[in-house]
Amino acid sequence: MEQQLLRTLEATCIQEELPFCTAACPLHVDVRGFMACLAKGDERGARRVLDRTMPFADIVGRICDEPCRQACKRSEVGDPLAVAALERHCVTSTAAVLKLTKLPDREGKVVFFGSGLASMTAALDLARKGRSATILTTEREIGGSLRRLGEERLPLAVLDAAVEQLGSYGVNIIFDCQMDAEFIEYTLNFYDAVFMDRDWSAIDDFCLDCRHPNPLSLAVARPGCFTGGGTGPNGYSVIRQVEEGRRAALSIERYLQKVSLTAGREREGACATRLFTDITSIEPLSVIAPADPAAGYTVEEAAREAARCLQCQCLECVKQCAFLQAFKEYPKTLVRKIYNNQAVVQGTRTANTMINSCSLCGQCTLICPHQFPMAEVCVTTRQSMVLDATMPPSAHEFALQDMAFSLGSEAAMLRHQPGKSSSRFLFYPGCQLAGSAPDLVEKTYLHLTRHLHDGVGLMLGCCGIPAHWSGRQELFAATMEEFCTAIQENGNPLIITACSSCYVTFKEFAPQLQIRSLWQILEEIGLPAGKRAPLSQPMTIHDPCGVRKEPEIRASVRNIAGQLGMNVAEQPFSGELTDCCGFGGLMQFANGPLGEQAAERKARRSSLDSLAYCAMCRDNLAASGHRVAHLLDYCFPGEGLADPLLRPNPGFSGRHENRARLKAQLLASLWQETSALPLEHKRIALDIAPQVRELMEKRLILEEDLQKVLLHAELSGRFLEDPHTGHRLANHRPVRVTYWAEYEVRDSGYRVYNAYSHRMILPERKTA
Amino acid sequence: MSTFSFISPTTWRCAPCNGELQPEKVNVSYMGSIFTVELMVCPSCGFVLIPEDLALGKMHAVEQLLEDK
Repeated sequence: MEQQLLRTLEATCIQEELPFCTAACPLHVDVRGFMACLAKGDERGARRVLDRTMPFADIVGRICDEPCRQACKRSEVGDPLAVAALERHCVTSTAAVLKLTKLPDREGKVVFFGSGLASMTAALDLARKGRSATILTTEREIGGSLRRLGEERLPLAVLDAAVEQLGSYGVNIIFDCQMDAEFIEYTLNFYDAVFMDRDWSAIDDFCLDCRHPNPLSLAVARPGCFTGGGTGPNGYSVIRQVEEGRRAALSIERYLQKVSLTAGREREGACATRLFTDITSIEPLSVIAPADPAAGYTVEEAAREAARCLQCQCLECVKQCAFLQAFKEYPKTLVRKIYNNQAVVQGTRTANTMINSCSLCGQCTLICPHQFPMAEVCVTTRQSMVLDATMPPSAHEFALQDMAFSLGSEAAMLRHQPGKSSSRFLFYPGCQLAGSAPDLVEKTYLHLTRHLHDGVGLMLGCCGIPAHWSGRQELFAATMEEFCTAIQENGNPLIITACSSCYVTFKEFAPQLQIRSLWQILEEIGLPAGKRAPLSQPMTIHDPCGVRKEPEIRASVRNIAGQLGMNVAEQPFSGELTDCCGFGGLMQFANGPLGEQAAERKARRSSLDSLAYCAMCRDNLAASGHRVAHLLDYCFPGEGLADPLLRPNPGFSGRHENRARLKAQLLASLWQETSALPLEHKRIALDIAPQVRELMEKRLILEEDLQKVLLHAELSGRFLEDPHTGHRLANHRPVRVTYWAEYEVRDSGYRVYNAYSHRMILPERKTA
Repeated sequence: MSTFSFISPTTWRCAPCNGELQPEKVNVSYMGSIFTVELMVCPSCGFVLIPEDLALGKMHAVEQLLEDK
């Protein structure tokens, strides 16, 4: 990933944008953090937040004119937070917690004419940076207009404390100055920069220039001269004094460092924010007023008022995504980790599993106010990992072997309809439907041949999307090309896909092909007549993530469910917002536990029985223990009484078996062709207890892998034996993974007790 | 490089050699890295026992680490 792309992506995610209050505050006080502390009764923590940003928290905290309150998101659902009253409560009930550090003294002497809050702020900020700061005032006290606010709003003792504070940072204050133009001119010779506080009303007598400062830098025409503060068109604003004092101090610092006075200062002071905070499910709440207004908030009242703060943030995508939640990331932090991961030359790439765990389902992009392209980022990262050989081999190997099986001679086939020599249509059920419910593939195919004319061919295979998801561009391109060639050689029939992933894969990567979804076709040609068990219980539809952008297909599915008399209740995370079941992006292979969480999350969106129309969704939801059926289960009901909602997950071995059997059976029954003899290891009869099957499923071990272990062990006679149990333990490494099986030889075959695997390569055995 | 030891008494015996397994240093490898580890091995034919907990525990962790290198 190029750094420029990283920056663009980082800027797309708005989670770290300022909250509305902080953006509206010229000082960018962390009001959200302040409220969080107060809400949990942490008064010192709240005070620390103020001390960190406010130059004189005891002054500003008492009398701030709270521009943040106007921006408070809470005002859209109730009253805005009483920020100023809470700040006043905080600074009157706690002493300063934080004393900000001072840098070592440096060259650069600055003089301040006038001793209002703007001068005080600028002098304090510059003294902290190690600059020599001298305040000159004609008065006997500092504070300017602050002194006239009244003891109740601002006790004069607080201003006395501010003098001490300034002194502690080395600010020199000279009172009772007799100032005239000549004195000012003379004084300027001794200083490198000057600040004129417009709160000193006589300032205009000496400096005509001061009326027109540059708004960004507050510089006036004379080099090294800056001005700010005072009474503006809307009267005297406390926060404006602080803002302009601080702005001028930054300008003076830039001036002393001889750098641009204006570059990159757009976000200083009150600024815009792009933050998005959803308030649709927030209860409106009115302000908590103090019981005794004169005394202000008690600690308990302050906590209750602060608890109304919405703690504004976005996290819209994270709220819905099992992947982002599991890795405790939001897109901005995630993309940075991806960037850093790719930059590792020597060392551990700690983000590999994260990169391979995204389901690429696109839900977050749709939810995101700025359409953060998460799937695109993850898939292109995987592609570059494959290209530079840093992709962990174990992440996708199993899934790619599964794809190879579906495309191989045992499971794949392509035929015209029996008795026809061409195909106007081609039914493409997809590898997962063939693996999950081979009988439904056959019934659907026969139904299509009865209602569509001019030949309906059948193709069993895999669209190749696992290769794309795993970043294997070459393999994916080759798979797609082979598919397109086969379609072309068979006269470009209209492809009818049962799987939405196949549908969108062909649509995106082979746009020249004609494709339609099985659901659209079934809607048109109708369902088979016949008796169906009445379906009274309400069900919810779980759309697959593949049809997020295919509203027509989703509508067809609902129409078919309606024709079947089903009582469908929609849940909010269906349609374009639907979740992935954990199969997408090969999530469940790269990160098994997360895949299970994703399936569980999708299933739990509704407490009703589930209706799926993606075989993988159906199987994964069934695997997570939920009642789920495939729409085809109801279109083509079985003869028996078996409830399709209870059909178990076939598992990886079962799917292999189903695909192979489907091909053999269809070839025999429809085309009168006999298949090749089964491979030698397939003759090994295994007896596997359900709990061992479950282990194998989690450990990605196929029955076939164990058959190979046993064939190898029994042919070679090399295995371990436990004389106490009579169990045998053997291993075999067909390609890259070494499989181990613990088993017992029985008359009927082999009873399997355990299975595990590793990738570490063991030494060759000693030769006799 | 120091040798990691994963030896522990086992009831598994080598069937063809009809003998007990004994601790032995062997080289295992993955992703081009070679490690010398002490495992339970049949002294006559060299059959190496990798118990389930080792395969799924330490060995798996090392495999993952090497894959992320």
